[in-house]
Amino acid sequence: MPDTCEFLERRRTGADGESFEHERPYCTAVDAFVQPMRADVCAKRYDLDPESDCEFYRGAKGAGSITGFDGAGTTDSEAGGS
Amino acid sequence: MSYDDYRDGKPLIVTAALTGGVHGKEANPSVPETPAEVAEAAAAAEEAGASILHLHAREDSGERAFSAERFQELADAVRDATDDAIVQHSTGGTAAPDALRAEPLRTDPAPEMASLDMGPLNRYRHLTSENTRALVDALHEEMRARGIKPELEVFNGGHLNEALRIREELAEPPYVNLVFGGGTTTVPSPRNLLHMVENLPEGAEFNVLAFGPHQLPLTTMGILLGGHVRVGLEDNLYYDQGQPAESNAQLVERTVRIAGELGRPVASTAEARELLGL
Repeated sequence: MPDTCEFLERRRTGADGESFEHERPYCTAVDAFVQPMRADVCAKRYDLDPESDCEFYRGAKGAGSITGFDGAGTTDSEAGGS
Repeated sequence: MSYDDYRDGKPLIVTAALTGGVHGKEANPSVPETPAEVAEAAAAAEEAGASILHLHAREDSGERAFSAERFQELADAVRDATDDAIVQHSTGGTAAPDALRAEPLRTDPAPEMASLDMGPLNRYRHLTSENTRALVDALHEEMRARGIKPELEVFNGGHLNEALRIREELAEPPYVNLVFGGGTTTVPSPRNLLHMVENLPEGAEFNVLAFGPHQLPLTTMGILLGGHVRVGLEDNLYYDQGQPAESNAQLVERTVRIAGELGRPVASTAEARELLGL
């Protein structure tokens, strides 16, 4: 089993042409750079696992709901934190 | 802690949340990430009127970092770049092990302040920052041992109960950060801000933190209610609808300008220390 998500790449330049000084985590499942907090899931840190913890991974793999119950989708509108 | 405080000209403490750990340059290239970038943003925010600088550490890739070493590097850079601002470290860390959460408290010198989450917070579809009472108590105990003033992060109304739970152990005055936004934070509305303020622990000073488009209206309301405010790119990436913010200082400058128009003086760092009992 790979030690990071199979959709994780490290890139300086994104599909939209944005570029960064350092390589950043990039999700090929959604073709976008990854938010820093989500990157912990991509890197499988702290016992996080894309298969159970990432909706992008599960969507790309057609894995559906973990519980079998497809409730309304959630959104993450919190910009920041504590 | 009231409209009377506003009328009496109580100084307004402005906190700048400079970087955060949820989003980064992928969301707005102006978000500072490296210690040098955060330090430059800190100096500009202090110059604009911020007296507290809320810090999160990151790796070079922008990813979150929790180690004392990474916070040390960041805090050293910020202290070198600023005059006398109050440094506040985040102890937040969705999904991070409890053992890492105290690391930001272990710099030399210790931060004057640190965030202390009062309870759970959902993230994305599958993550939760659990913030068990055992963790809250352990972090608070270490803060007290190291002389660090906690800022109580009240994500929703139930977390006021959690603040009351530890009220007797808190140094005076308790400093409560009321958080408004999506998910498990308080639904952002003027009525809810009033409700939260009415239910604060006795003697508390409060701060208003509102995400995204709610930052401007609810922090302005906080100014009128005699509270204090937090602004910055951690909480809000935009200056106006569809217009990305250019810098943290730009957001601080707007708050200071509004406070001035409303006749509320902005606290110097010395005044902020006095108000918070630092």
